Amino acid sequence: MTSSAVDSLELEQVRRRVFLALFVALAVALHTVEVLLPNPLPWFRIGLANILALTALFSYGIQALWVVSIARILIGSLLLGSLFSPGFLLSLGGGLAANTLMSVGYKLWQNKIGPVGVSVLGAIGHVTGQLLIAWLVVIRHPSIWMLLPFFLLFALISGIVNGLAADYLLASLYKHPAFTGLKKKQDVSNNVAHLER
Amino acid sequence: MKAIGWVRRLTPFDRKLLVVVAVLVVLSFLLPLTQKAGARVVVSSDNRIIFVAPLDKDQRVELDGPLGITVLQIKDGGARIVSSPCPQKVCIHMGEARHAGDLLACVPNQLVISVEGNEKGEDTEYDFISR
Repeated sequence: MTSSAVDSLELEQVRRRVFLALFVALAVALHTVEVLLPNPLPWFRIGLANILALTALFSYGIQALWVVSIARILIGSLLLGSLFSPGFLLSLGGGLAANTLMSVGYKLWQNKIGPVGVSVLGAIGHVTGQLLIAWLVVIRHPSIWMLLPFFLLFALISGIVNGLAADYLLASLYKHPAFTGLKKKQDVSNNVAHLER
Repeated sequence: MKAIGWVRRLTPFDRKLLVVVAVLVVLSFLLPLTQKAGARVVVSSDNRIIFVAPLDKDQRVELDGPLGITVLQIKDGGARIVSSPCPQKVCIHMGEARHAGDLLACVPNQLVISVEGNEKGEDTEYDFISR
């Protein structure tokens, strides 16, 4: 499938870089489309862009998750003209909280947790981080926490939806030759980690 | 049966995690119940307190602002603005304030109406109000 002249390690690195760039581009596109969608309530977003962050996490690890989501937030808000606005701060705060929870969850239960589990953790982190920033920066009033139950319920649903989407995407990506080596490597390292325990 | 087909895509751990998170979400809906009922309503204009009244006594109050008179109604332990001379009527649409910490504001008419609880620290207790 590949020419033998190319060092396989280098090929792997180039692939990783190209796919991460593609993931970021797709995440930015989804982020933009989502803002254009009619929305009954200003803060309820499905967070479709997180599908790509999840995909990056499960194919290239925690570092890739942070690259994709931070790049998506920066580029996405640059495109929409909301960079450094309060809305951007909400987005960034939510993103950081979501990434932290997703990284911890992925690291802690590496062999057991699937995309849906990580996605739900991320969605919960996202709304909590957003409300925290909203409370600190925009509305300094404790009543804002009364919104939390509704946000959490919505996050649970959108988290499941995004996680399933990421799961389907990963399943079809792994069928592609560019990902088969990766999948095998991950399985092997998972097995090794499992044996070491 | 098709509706639960997606559950099969989850790892066993994911299913447990989902149940835990769902329980937490349901529990979080109890959060508003922890709100303390307000004891009195405090109206301030231009950083000065212009009116204080207990929430348990039904009454209508006419509050003076730069634009004119805003009418505040206190009824059944809640306070709401029923009429105001401001152009947008945002304050009327804010609805009712009944819990400690709730806030109604009419920005054009420079009125801030806050509900305070009883248990708060001593510094929020007014022992004397001058108008």
